[in-house]
Amino acid sequence: MEFEEYVSARGQELVRLGFTVSGDYQRAEDLAQIALMQAFRSWRKVRNADDPHHYVRRILVNEYLSMTRRRSFTEAPTADLDPQRTVPDHATRVANSDDLWRALATLSARERVVLVLRYYQDLDDQTIADMLGIKPSSVRATASRALASLRRRPAYSGAGESNRVDERLS
Amino acid sequence: MSNTDLEDDLRGTFERAAASVPQAVDLTERATTGARRAQRRTWVVSGAAAVAVAAIAVAGFGLAGSRNQPTQPPVATGQAAASASATPQGVSAQTVAGTWRPVQMVGAKTLQAARPDDPVLVFKADGTWTGSDGCNGLQGTYSIGQRGAFSATSGPQHLVGCENVPHTGVLHAAKRIAVSADTLQFFGADGRQLASYARAR
Repeated sequence: MEFEEYVSARGQELVRLGFTVSGDYQRAEDLAQIALMQAFRSWRKVRNADDPHHYVRRILVNEYLSMTRRRSFTEAPTADLDPQRTVPDHATRVANSDDLWRALATLSARERVVLVLRYYQDLDDQTIADMLGIKPSSVRATASRALASLRRRPAYSGAGESNRVDERLS
Repeated sequence: MSNTDLEDDLRGTFERAAASVPQAVDLTERATTGARRAQRRTWVVSGAAAVAVAAIAVAGFGLAGSRNQPTQPPVATGQAAASASATPQGVSAQTVAGTWRPVQMVGAKTLQAARPDDPVLVFKADGTWTGSDGCNGLQGTYSIGQRGAFSATSGPQHLVGCENVPHTGVLHAAKRIAVSADTLQFFGADGRQLASYARAR
């Protein structure tokens, strides 16, 4: 598979993954671009990996975790900015209207990444552990802690009015 | 709320959030352009680093070389093969002061021939030198800089013909000087030895 073919087939998935872990559309594009840049630079190695997409996802989530550890992160070199391209209000509006989505923003970066990999990417704990370079027991502990934290939110402890988009629309 | 409900909600939330992301454009071009720019920057940085390392290595080699005191004068057979790396540190007008007799000189094959005068060089600690090419008196000034850097001038001289010993040519061509025990060596700009002298008793 050539690099262009891979980006064409899976690039948008990377942006989505970036959005679910970061909650920021612009950062999601940056993350996807950084992951793709790194993959492009060693594409022969990536292409020969058992699962190239897994390899690139791993770059992306670890880049995000590195990014959050920096006091102020610097953006990677990008193509020239296109003034016609703007941050979509729609995505942010939809996501922010969801209590659970907002609750996710209160978690630590690693907690959120673990939940994304588990419940959005449907990866098992062993695979997540390999991806993050931690032990499966740490993945379980992190996920458990994150879920407990989410359950303590008013909307999920039975207190307060639900603000979930789907419930308000129904 | 049970764990399962929360997990289902998480799946739904992530799916909705992901679905709300608009199609990114030019991902391929942006990734390849960014990677190439980063690669160019890496090459520039690597090149600069390589130059810096080379400069440090050269400087270090020069310093290391300047600490090596030559223990033996080079064998004076045919072309001089010694290099300036044997130049010792601490050469000064005081250390070269004295009378020196030529032992080996590039291009001079008859140093031992009979001449009217003794073909010696005499360095004085005040920065002047005198001597004889075997037929004519010589004089001039000299200076010794850091790590044996050497330069000399010569004054007017007679040009009586004989087996003239080209001291003046050596002194003009010499860029570095080394003194070890009773041996005085001159080196050219390329680091090769031009001549060696032995201290006259």
